[in-house]
Amino acid sequence: MNGLSVFRLLAITATFVAAGNAQADSSGKWQSSQEVYNKVCAYCHEANVAPVLTGRNLIPQYIQVIVRNGNRAMPSFRESEISDATLAGVIKLVSTSAPGALK
Amino acid sequence: MNAKRKTLPKGIAAGEFDKAIKELKKILGNENVLEDELRLAPYNKIMMPVPNDQHAPSAAITPASVEEIQAVLKVLNKYKIPVYPISTGKNLGYGSAAPVQRGQIVMDLRRMNKIIEVDPDLCTALVEPGVTYQQLYDYLQERKLPLWFSCPAPSAIAGPLGNMVDRGVGYTPYGEHFLFSCGMEVVLANSEVLRTGMGAMPNSNTWQVFKWGYGPTLDGIFTQSNYGIVTKMGMWLMPAPPDFRPFCIQYPNEADITKIVDALRPLRIAMVIPNAVVIAHTLWEAPCTPVKRADYHTGPGAISDAAVSKIQKDHNIGAWNVYAGLYGTKETNDANWKIIEAVAAGTGGKIITEEQSKGSQALQYRFDLMKGKPNLGEFGLYNWRGGGGSIWFAPVSQAKGSETLKQMKTAKDILGKYGFDYVGEFIVGWRDMHHVIDLLFDRSDDDQTKKAYACYDELLHTFAKEGYGVYRSNTAFAEKVAATYGPVKRSVEKKLKKALDPNNILAPGRCGISL
Repeated sequence: MNGLSVFRLLAITATFVAAGNAQADSSGKWQSSQEVYNKVCAYCHEANVAPVLTGRNLIPQYIQVIVRNGNRAMPSFRESEISDATLAGVIKLVSTSAPGALK
Repeated sequence: MNAKRKTLPKGIAAGEFDKAIKELKKILGNENVLEDELRLAPYNKIMMPVPNDQHAPSAAITPASVEEIQAVLKVLNKYKIPVYPISTGKNLGYGSAAPVQRGQIVMDLRRMNKIIEVDPDLCTALVEPGVTYQQLYDYLQERKLPLWFSCPAPSAIAGPLGNMVDRGVGYTPYGEHFLFSCGMEVVLANSEVLRTGMGAMPNSNTWQVFKWGYGPTLDGIFTQSNYGIVTKMGMWLMPAPPDFRPFCIQYPNEADITKIVDALRPLRIAMVIPNAVVIAHTLWEAPCTPVKRADYHTGPGAISDAAVSKIQKDHNIGAWNVYAGLYGTKETNDANWKIIEAVAAGTGGKIITEEQSKGSQALQYRFDLMKGKPNLGEFGLYNWRGGGGSIWFAPVSQAKGSETLKQMKTAKDILGKYGFDYVGEFIVGWRDMHHVIDLLFDRSDDDQTKKAYACYDELLHTFAKEGYGVYRSNTAFAEKVAATYGPVKRSVEKKLKKALDPNNILAPGRCGISL
């Protein structure tokens, strides 16, 4: 076994034991509304960066407009990133979830 | 003309535009040619201090392959219609997904999002423009590959190709992203497909491992330019180190920056500290903590030094907060840690280790970025002033203490004159520093927006007079920034443009390059 292999084996142990991600998906296609929420929305809205969205009964049309147009600090998201069909699922998830339910 | 169409490319008649759109729809399908206002809205969200109209697209197209791009370019050449290619289209504070000039068609490459190859032995990847850092992170996690990449702060939603072609930077030892790219595929304006470096040779398997190839190395001309559409990029990945030890060193006074840089530079050049050291000011840390500006300053004008001192005391934030990491084995990091402790003790800094940082939002996102773990923690900055206005002023300086204090004072004075806070950090490259300042303003306030424009203008020209150029710029100031680099460079750029894109259809105006 050469030096690099030893180095990498050590790295596997050190780095990836604690870093499991059940939601991981690298296909480039969203697998679920929850995945979009986790990998886009939650980075701010569940991280004390932007307002919490769950438990507020936000109006679906309002969420749609904000996602597509952005709002002040919030960037806009294009159809090429989150399609209308996928976004509809995310909106349903967010607008009907109890406080903290999507964490 | 389509009755709903409000925006056209400069000099293009409505009838001609309609004909071109019809041909584009034939190539891409109706759903991938976006024309109406609602569907174009996301391309209009800019953070710059200029009206949206100035950067409004006439349409957007979303090709899914190189072949589609080639066919599209034939149509655009025929009608001489300009197109503005974007990858993941974030580039927040630099122009977002909006075209550099009003009326250009946005070519949105987000659907081209294949991770074509990751070679775990050579630690390389080949990706398309629409791949996000999050996607690449997931790919490596799923396959349990012990490889890290470097990403900028908006990592979760941005992507490696777009960031590299705009010469963005990140925070791991591979943080100078263009330096760690290796091989590009570029669709030229005439629809030819160029592979750079070793990729030009048929059957080569060294495209992602040797940058230079034979003859002139061309990769650089496809960064911060408009000479081609980059459709694939090779990038080097870093073996995850067995031991990663991120740390923060806090310093109490603004003037400490001089000794910090002079003490850390030798460690950076010798690669004892292998990553880009970040030296963040109080007002970068505060919004990411988060601290509310309104709790310390109300009314117009810049926040006072006294209020900044109070924030430091109330929230245990340094005047400067140094972030860096040791990447190695336990043995090498134990040895180098002693050097870090000695430097901190010798310069009056207080070390915060990863263990001691638990519970700090500001430190956590930094430590994650230093190992290439995507997050959006830095978006806290946008809450500081509120209102969604932000442009980055980022002059380059030598990594010398005397330079830092001079640059910082000049910037702070100009910002203060227009009522803006100094929200800045220095990113120590290898021998250079990117002095990155977020000019934050309330874009819903006309007066602040006008002042932000004037402020950037003064910053740019005052620094240029001193010989300091910016490493990157927002699209609204592309022309002015290009002018600060002198006429000969621009003349060469124009000659290249004429040779490679005689109809001037690829993002004319980007980085000040046009015919």
